[in-house]
Amino acid sequence: MTTESMGIDRDVTTDVVRTPTIATATKSRAMVNGAADERILDVRNFSVDYGWGESAVRAVDNVDLHLERSKVLGIAGESGSGKSTLVYAITRLLRAPGVITGGEARFNVVNEDGTERIVDLVNASEQELRMIRWSNISIVLQSALSALNPVIRVGAQFEQVLKSHRREMSKHERRRRAAELLALVGLSEDRLDRYPHELSGGQRQRIMIALALTLDPELVIMDEPTTALDVVTQREIISELFELRSRFGFAMIFITHDLSLLTELADEIVVMYAGALVERATSRELYEAPRHPYTLGLLNSFPPMHGERNLLSGIPGSPPDLAHLPTGCSFHPRCPYAMARCSNETPPLVDVGESGRSVACWLHSGDAGVVVPVELRRANPDAMIAEPGEVS
Amino acid sequence: MSDETMSSAQLAARHLTRHFTVRTPGQLRNAKRIVRAVDDVSLDLDAGKVVGVVGESGSGKSVLARMLARIITPTSGELVLQGTPIAIKSKRTLDYTAQVQLVLQDPFASMNPVHRMSHNLIRPLRIHGASKADAPQLAEAALRRVSLEPPGRFLESYPHELSGGQLQRVSIARALCVEPKVLLADEPISMLDVSVRLGVLNLLRGLCDNDQLAILYITHDIASARYIADSIIVMYAGQVVEQSRGTALVDEPTHPYTQLLIASVPDPSDPTRDVPTTGEHAQTQVADVGCRFSPRCPHVMDRCRVEEPPQFIVGESHTSKCWLYADHQTAVEVALSTRRKEGESATT
Repeated sequence: MTTESMGIDRDVTTDVVRTPTIATATKSRAMVNGAADERILDVRNFSVDYGWGESAVRAVDNVDLHLERSKVLGIAGESGSGKSTLVYAITRLLRAPGVITGGEARFNVVNEDGTERIVDLVNASEQELRMIRWSNISIVLQSALSALNPVIRVGAQFEQVLKSHRREMSKHERRRRAAELLALVGLSEDRLDRYPHELSGGQRQRIMIALALTLDPELVIMDEPTTALDVVTQREIISELFELRSRFGFAMIFITHDLSLLTELADEIVVMYAGALVERATSRELYEAPRHPYTLGLLNSFPPMHGERNLLSGIPGSPPDLAHLPTGCSFHPRCPYAMARCSNETPPLVDVGESGRSVACWLHSGDAGVVVPVELRRANPDAMIAEPGEVS
Repeated sequence: MSDETMSSAQLAARHLTRHFTVRTPGQLRNAKRIVRAVDDVSLDLDAGKVVGVVGESGSGKSVLARMLARIITPTSGELVLQGTPIAIKSKRTLDYTAQVQLVLQDPFASMNPVHRMSHNLIRPLRIHGASKADAPQLAEAALRRVSLEPPGRFLESYPHELSGGQLQRVSIARALCVEPKVLLADEPISMLDVSVRLGVLNLLRGLCDNDQLAILYITHDIASARYIADSIIVMYAGQVVEQSRGTALVDEPTHPYTQLLIASVPDPSDPTRDVPTTGEHAQTQVADVGCRFSPRCPHVMDRCRVEEPPQFIVGESHTSKCWLYADHQTAVEVALSTRRKEGESATT
C-alpha cells in the first residue's frame, strides 16, 4: 500500500476501535494509484488579487505548491498571510472581489470507474467543478456553526449531498450511509435527528469531517478545523482524523496559524507571509532547522512546556498591511537579520540544496560575504550526513 | 516590603460562587436547572505577581474574571480589596473600578469603532475625575506604558486603522490610565496573531514587575500561563481542580484533568509521548454528584462518583482536588498566596 506514510507514526495513537463499515468502495483508489502519477495537486505561479486595477491588493503572490497522494501538506501563516485565500482560489470557491490573476492548479481526478484525468481547476467549467467538489475535493471550514445549515437537521445535510452526487441510492441507503459516516467520527446515529445548535462545538466539527468524507474524496482541505476548539477536543479530533486518513488514504491540506500543531501532523509544511511562500520543508526539518527568519520567529513565539522559563522575544512589529507592502522582502522591517539588499530586492524562493527544501531569503543566496546566523543553519535532521560541519 | 508582606493581597476572593438558573428546552414549563458556573473559587492577587487561570471554554474562567471586576454579582462568596471587605451584593462603585480593571479578549469589539483612540482613552479618565486639561497627557502616558510610540499618532487613529496587537495594547493602556492596582486580563492574546502574542505577554509581565501590578491572566493556553504566571490555577466545570505556585503544576501535573490537558497540547519536541484518552468524547458530561471530572477520568474510582474530593496537598504550595491523593493532607486554606515567604508552608 502506497498510502502508508510517516504521518501516522508520528500521530498520537488512539486505541479507540470503531466499527469498520464503509460501503462505498466504488473508487478503489489504493489499487488505481499504484504506478500512476503520485502528484495529486500541482499549483504553479498562482496569484490572487482582491479588487481590480489601481486598487488591487495582491493576496497570494506567485505561489508554487504540490501535494502527493495521501500526504499531509501544512500551510502555516498568520491572518492576512493569504493561506485561506490560496485554498479558496484553488478550489474556485473564492468570491468577488477575489480574482485569480495567474497560474494553474492541476488536479488529478479519479473518475468513478477508476480512470484518472488531470483537470486545471483554474480553467474548469462550473459544471466540471460541481462534479469534482465534494466527490474529489472536500473542505472542512473553521466555523462549523456557520458551515452547517442551522435550520435543517444534521441527517438532512448528509441527505442533500448523497442525493445530488449518488442518484442511485435509495432513501434507506442514504440514511444508512449517513449513520456509518457518523460512526466513523465516533458519533451515534441519533445525532442525525438533531439540529446543529443542539450539538457541542466538537460534535459539530466531527459532523463537518464526516460530511467531507461522505463521497470518499482524494483531497480534504482543512481550514483551521480545530482553532475554535479546546485543546483536549482538538487532540481527539486530530487523532480521529489521522486514523481515518490511514484507513481511506485521502490527502490533506491543513491550514492553521498554530505551527506547533502543524509540525506534529504534517508531512511537509509551507510557511506563508504577506501572500508569498517564504519557506517549504518537511515538518521535521522546519521544526529542527528553520532557514527563514520568520519561521524561526514563529517557532520562538510558542512558549515551551518544558525546561527553564526564559524570556522569549517573538517577532517585533505587526504583520504588514497588504495594501502597503514594504519594498523588497516584505518581512525585512521585522527581521533581525535584515541587510541593505533586503529592503530593495525581493528574494526568490530557491532550493537550499537539502532534500528539496526551499526558502525565500537573501541570507541563503549563497553570496560571498553573507554570514548565515548559526540559528538559521542548524544541521538538517534529514540530511545529517551531508553537512557534518554544521552541527552547532 | 516588610510591612507590605503583612498586609493581605491587593484583591482576594474567598469561596466565590455563581450559579445561573436556566430553563431546559423541551421540558415542562418552569422546569429549571442550575448551572454551577463558578463554584467555591478562592484566590489571592498580589502586587507584582501574575496568577494564571487555565481552563477550557465553559470552565467558568471568564465568569470568575467578571465577578472579580464586579460586572457579574456572585451568588455567594467574599471579595476583599486591599484589606477592605466588599459588600458583594451592592452596586459597583467608581472607587472599585479605579482599582480593578478588566481587559477583554477581543480588542476589535472592545473599542467604539466610530471614535478615535483619544475618545476611547480620555472618556474613562474623565469619568474617573481627570480634568479636561490633564486627560490627554494622561492618555499619552498610558500609551507610552504599553510601548505605543509616538502616542500622538495612536490617539488620532480609529480602531480599524490599527492591528489587533496594537488595539490590544490600547485596551491595556485604557485599563491602566486610571492607575489600577489589579489588572484582570481575560484571554488577552487568543485573538491576536501568533507573532505578536509574545509582545503582549511580555508587556503584561513588565507591568507586573516594574509597576507592581497584580495581574490575573486567564487563558486556555497552558503554555502561555507557564511562561508568564507566578502561580497557576486549573479550572474544570467551575471548580479549581489543581493549583500550584510556579510551574510545578505543568512540570508535574497531579490531577487527571491537568494531565490530559497538558498531554493534549501540541508538543513537537516530544511527538512520541502518550496521550491518555478519555474514551468517548464527553466534554459535555459533568457529574452532578461526586467529582465533576469523573465521567471522563481514566482513573475513576467508585468513591469519585459519589463524593466530591477536597483539595489535597500534593507538594509545596501545590494542591489537587482528586481522590487519588486521599492519603495526603487536605488543604485547610484553599487560596495559595503567591507572596508567602519561601519555606513557609502554604497550608499552615
